Amino acid sequence: MEKTLLFRASILLFLLPFLCSSFSSENPTDRRILVLLDDLAIRSSHSIFFNSLKSRGFDLDFKLAEDPKLSLKRYGQYLYDGLILFSPSIKRFGGSLDLASVLEFVDSGHDLIIGADSSASDLIRDIATECGVDFDEDAAAVVIDHTSYAASEAEGDHTLIASDDFIQSDVILGEKKIAAPVLFRGIGHSLNAANSLVLKVLSASPSAYSANLKTKLSSPPSLTGSAISLVSVVQARNNARVLLSGSLDLFSNRLFRSAVQKAGTSIKYEKSGNEQFVTELSKWIFHERGHLKAVNVKHHKAGETAEPAMYRINDDLEYSVDIYEWSGTSWKPYVADDVQVQFYMMSPYVLKTLSNDQKGHYYTSFRVPDVYGVFQFKVEYQRLGYTSLSLSKQIPVRPFRHNEYERFITAAYPYYGASFSSMAGFFVFTIIYLYNK
Amino acid sequence: MAKSSSSSTAKDAQALIQSLRSAYSATPTNLKIIDLYVMFAIFTGLIQVVYMALVGSFPFNSFLSGVLSCIGTAVLAVCLRIQVNKENKEFKDLPPERAFADFVLCNLVLHLVIMNFLG
Repeated sequence: MEKTLLFRASILLFLLPFLCSSFSSENPTDRRILVLLDDLAIRSSHSIFFNSLKSRGFDLDFKLAEDPKLSLKRYGQYLYDGLILFSPSIKRFGGSLDLASVLEFVDSGHDLIIGADSSASDLIRDIATECGVDFDEDAAAVVIDHTSYAASEAEGDHTLIASDDFIQSDVILGEKKIAAPVLFRGIGHSLNAANSLVLKVLSASPSAYSANLKTKLSSPPSLTGSAISLVSVVQARNNARVLLSGSLDLFSNRLFRSAVQKAGTSIKYEKSGNEQFVTELSKWIFHERGHLKAVNVKHHKAGETAEPAMYRINDDLEYSVDIYEWSGTSWKPYVADDVQVQFYMMSPYVLKTLSNDQKGHYYTSFRVPDVYGVFQFKVEYQRLGYTSLSLSKQIPVRPFRHNEYERFITAAYPYYGASFSSMAGFFVFTIIYLYNK
Repeated sequence: MAKSSSSSTAKDAQALIQSLRSAYSATPTNLKIIDLYVMFAIFTGLIQVVYMALVGSFPFNSFLSGVLSCIGTAVLAVCLRIQVNKENKEFKDLPPERAFADFVLCNLVLHLVIMNFLG
């Protein structure tokens, strides 16, 4: 009896690392995702998107947004690594979930996707505002574009927009170019100018505007042209990623599958760019791409291998660091020619670009400046779409020791001579002075 | 007019130097020795300053100790001269032997410091 118990416990212990394969710095891809819906029908109407997530190994947990048992946390631990809010019209979440807990979820480094539409509630708008995105204040306004709408499905109101104005970033949208325009039907938003972390991924054409369809346009619309962002992303300083879309339909099977022809052009695409756009973007959001880690930070004197506790001024030193990018399944070497290291005390005394061996190993060598004090090796690497790297390592730099100078310096011989001659002069003077009487 | 005035200036200068010389020749020999010693110290100091201006201030501590040893020597010698001068009423109670002993002691301290600071 005791033996079987022990056996079971050992199996559990053995399985423990596999059971806990959630977000960690070694495996940054999210695993468990909570999907909140207004209506369980979305689960089937957006099934292509959800199935692509499932096939990439995500564990989706579908819940109604007003479910009274909703909670992100249990016993102080997050139950999920990511949150998808496909519930634009929700006024209040059920359970313990509210605006503050969603923001806390992001603040603790978790990812968030928000799909809104023209029925977006104040709660969803508030979450978006906290992320640096302001949806059009007019609740009934939608994005209208009379020049770049989808010609095939125009129902007279030009609200189904075909946009191909993407952000120029391979890491966010994938290396393969998205050929077909993306179909969008929903509300527009503008980026908060004070927020430098939020990026427009899909913007509207210069002829777009945001207005209420039902009423006459009496005054100029507040949001116009390419200031309107259709889809935006935020990468917070803690590397949490947020996707904000003004259209829930963007993710739907119907728009994934529909053919698209942009008004005014003769090219007709069999399939819209939505599927590729959404899939690639969700890979980025859930850290399957663009996640960097730096390991093996090493520095030592030129010609040595051990790391000293302190450098002397004018020492030659070598610095190296390994940088890898997460590919969704494994760490691949990250290759770039713009990684720089600073030797920093209040301001950078040395700023050097690191060379790399194409295998993720970055290295350089430089001479410690002729200044002593407490320095830092700093790597501050922030590139569009990549998680930010911020390494710093403190190292003191001391002046020459008393016995590290040459014993006699040639340039100082006249001074030695002068000092000794004044001593000799003193001696001679004493003798002459005493004996001259 | 100008010529006569310049010649008179030269004459005045000559007369001045002459009177200075005759006055200085009346100075006691021991004070003259001290003066020579002070001239020597100032001259050595000036040479070092010129050398530093040419070569650069690299062993700055050596430069400082070299120059300061000359300045210190000159200052101490001038102090000795003031104290042993018979015409100075201020120090008439101070015996010249005492003044010389002070001078030697101060010089020893000065050169000890200079040797430590020289490098």
